[in-house]
Amino acid sequence: MTLLAALNAADATREVMWNISHSWVMYVLLVPTMLIAGYGVYKQVQKWRSGQPAARFDRPAERIMRVINHVLLQQATLRDRFAGVFHFMLFWGMITLTIATTVVLIQHDFGIEIMKGRFYLYFQSLFVDVLGVLAMLGVAVLAVRRWVLRPKKLVYTDESTWLLVLLFVIMGTGYLLEGWRIAVTNDPWGIWSPAGIIVSKASLAVAGVGTLKTLHLFTWWFHLVIVFGLIAWAPYTKLLHVLTAPLNIYTADLDHGGGTLKQIDFESAQSFGINSLEQFTWKDLLDLDACTECGRCTSVCPANTVGKQLSPRDIILDMQGLLDRSDLASLTGKADGQQPDEYDPAFPIIGATDNLSSDALFECTTCAACVEICPVSIEQLPKIVDMRRFQVMEQAEFPQQMQDAISSLEERGHPFKGTQLSRVDWAAGMDVPLIEDVEAPEVLLWVGCGGALVDRNQKSTRALANLLKKANVNFAILGREETCTGDPARRIGNEFLFETLATQNIETLKTHNIKNVLTSCPHCFNTFRNEYPKLGGNFEVMHHTTYLARLIGEGHLKLDAQATEKIAFHDPCYLGRHNGITDAPRKLLKEVSQQPLVEMEKHGRQSFCCGGGGGMSFVDEPADQRVNQERAKQALATDADTVAVGCPFCTTMMEDGINAVKGDREMAVKDVAEVMWEALEGK
Amino acid sequence: MKTLVCLKQILDPEIPPRDFTINRDSRQAVQGSANLVTNIFCENALESALQLRERSEGEIAALAFGPASAEDSLRKALALKADEACLVEDDSTAYRNSATTALVLAAAIKKLGEFDIIMVGREAGDWGAGQTGGLLAERLGLPCVTFVDHIEASGDGVTLRRQTELGWEKVEVKLPLVVTISNHEENVPRIPKTRDIMMSARKPVTNWKLSDIDLTDEDLKTTGDALDVIDLFIPEKKTDCEFIEGDSLDDKIDEFAKRLAGIVQSA
Ligand code: SF4
Ligand code: SF4
Repeated sequence: MTLLAALNAADATREVMWNISHSWVMYVLLVPTMLIAGYGVYKQVQKWRSGQPAARFDRPAERIMRVINHVLLQQATLRDRFAGVFHFMLFWGMITLTIATTVVLIQHDFGIEIMKGRFYLYFQSLFVDVLGVLAMLGVAVLAVRRWVLRPKKLVYTDESTWLLVLLFVIMGTGYLLEGWRIAVTNDPWGIWSPAGIIVSKASLAVAGVGTLKTLHLFTWWFHLVIVFGLIAWAPYTKLLHVLTAPLNIYTADLDHGGGTLKQIDFESAQSFGINSLEQFTWKDLLDLDACTECGRCTSVCPANTVGKQLSPRDIILDMQGLLDRSDLASLTGKADGQQPDEYDPAFPIIGATDNLSSDALFECTTCAACVEICPVSIEQLPKIVDMRRFQVMEQAEFPQQMQDAISSLEERGHPFKGTQLSRVDWAAGMDVPLIEDVEAPEVLLWVGCGGALVDRNQKSTRALANLLKKANVNFAILGREETCTGDPARRIGNEFLFETLATQNIETLKTHNIKNVLTSCPHCFNTFRNEYPKLGGNFEVMHHTTYLARLIGEGHLKLDAQATEKIAFHDPCYLGRHNGITDAPRKLLKEVSQQPLVEMEKHGRQSFCCGGGGGMSFVDEPADQRVNQERAKQALATDADTVAVGCPFCTTMMEDGINAVKGDREMAVKDVAEVMWEALEGK
Repeated sequence: MKTLVCLKQILDPEIPPRDFTINRDSRQAVQGSANLVTNIFCENALESALQLRERSEGEIAALAFGPASAEDSLRKALALKADEACLVEDDSTAYRNSATTALVLAAAIKKLGEFDIIMVGREAGDWGAGQTGGLLAERLGLPCVTFVDHIEASGDGVTLRRQTELGWEKVEVKLPLVVTISNHEENVPRIPKTRDIMMSARKPVTNWKLSDIDLTDEDLKTTGDALDVIDLFIPEKKTDCEFIEGDSLDDKIDEFAKRLAGIVQSA
């Protein structure tokens, strides 16, 4: 310290390349390194560019915010606490080391003297040293995770192993170089590099200055070769995500939680749906190269959780493999010249691997948990639907029970083949106004097929209508004029039928001059809110939980806390994840219940699907692979007496699931409207 | 092999019971909110024809007798790649019994040309008479095999699998013939590809009036008179529930047995 005090901090610096001669060799090596890396990047960019157009550069301010949140702050990555924290350390460590190297470059190659004074001490020495150690720690822990803890969600490849080893070696040799430099040059500022000084002291204890100087020289070249090697190799590995991830996050789908499905121009489309890589948009192809193999999507996928084949991670990775092996750029021309009805995909993807099998694609509940969790904004779900479309519209090959639902939608405007109920049976004896009998209703109560045609849900629908009447809302229903919004058709993959139903509904609503729509079905809600506007149907749509919360807020409905049961809320995917509505139902339940609200472990936007979305509620799942029973177990793990839901599909799925696995335990399933109505009625 | 499939359009039999009404005066079902669909056994017949064509080449023609709306059933057949379609349009809304239908179909088939196999559904989901196939064969002077659920070409004829009360019968027949098709997991109707649905809208459907096949209202009256629906109503379902009284369980059982014996005797 005395020595330090004698020195002037303003003079602090070090000599760059003090021990290195023939530094031109470095520049010579740099040329092939950059050429190889550059070619790797160029090749991929060409492949992405061969994709179809997609508009993903609008709203730059929002996109920049997204990059700040998810790249710089690593928000999405940090959702997995353990891996997230260490990745954060690695990420910032590597960035800092890269900046430090750039500083050296500026100093040495451009002759601008910036490596001096306080900047040199505080940043270039201390900060870089500490961050580098954190990065090394990050790599070490991630390596332990990979080799010792071995979580199921990771992909175990030699490539991953080598990448970790190389990163560790690069950083390790970096510290050796620093320590030996400090030792040999007897650097008076060495104390500002804590890790360096430790290496220096330790090395001097076992070797002389001369030895260290020689070691330094060899290690320096070794370090350089490894760094250049990694740079050259990186674009051919998953490390490409260093480039693709920020780009992918910037060009993410900003709406609808990343679950936006594409529209099809049926007049000109070459193929209805996708069975070939070149038919995806450039963004879809970029998605494939952005995957970090983290496996989070598969670990949250409900279908995968119950042991089905479907794995969003492997869908992405298998397509990435196909993209690697394909020569897309040269093929795009060929597909253009083909006649539509003999369209023959250049790179068939459906069935190319087990993960891409048609069976796996039709296990998806379209819950969007994968899209929500992906740290790099990959959109797995829309791709799954794109491929389903091909199976449904071009091949007409998909699960029989989904075919039945589709045929029923075509013939009867609802998917419930064989239902014994009509659209208005639930209202029997209730005096619910039909649209033709009401002058100008404030809201149209869109009952939905699930709310009207399934026995169990009649009670929920009645509860909602009763609440509306109690609050003196001037509402009406369409009755027999209502048909399915088209949601199940769309998610199963029949976009044509979806458009037909949607256009018809929009027409009907316009004829009746409807402005406000209220619905208790999140699927209908989502369709009205996010999909009808694109077909010219602009209606103000509200989910009943939001609407009821508003009625209470404005004093039209008075609720004293009367429910005594303990309630947990199951977030429907199309309400919470797809549309971000998680507070309104909770607010209502807190209002109505004397007990504090119970939360399941997976709730809000991270909720676990009931298993009923994407047309899956029409399918009999294998007895040991039922998503609803898995969710039921999660509900039964709480001490709630009642699971409140806000979706007719969730109601039946959850009720069936709970009844199947509850054993002696009692647990009721009720729509939020039922909970409220029962409380009001003092039941 | 040239196949002709007859398709009947009917009121959706899957409508909720409460929505099903009839008009007792005209002795017909009221359409109400029900949609019109193709009779399921006719769809099984079409599926059987499609499978036969996949196995042993040939052409498929679809034929319907009914109101203009029946064209929808034919379009669906075209979407499933039937080669041609023909509608004999019925201007009248009168009830048509199986004999009348067979008369019209036979006249149309004669005009359409020669066919190796003529397939009809085993019965229709509206009246469920199950007569048309047999009567049609009679009119055409062809053999008829009923309740067939599988067809295989063999030599100069076909091998048919026919459902019976005890199981299956295997029948070898020479062509041409009429078969009535029953349902089986093998002939669950497929659904059309979307592009084919779109294309089917542009394909031609031959439209004939009765006069085009040399039939007059008089001819139809003759067959029509062969069967008259006297009354049509929805049977009222009544269930009575009575608890047998008695001092002891044994008394109750005795009383119960006595009552049961009474019912059996009176029946
Ligand atoms: S949308 Fe849901 S079910 Fe489908 S792949 Fe993603 S997580 Fe799995
Ligand atoms: S798609 Fe996203 S969540 Fe899934 S493995 Fe790749 S990076 Fe991870």
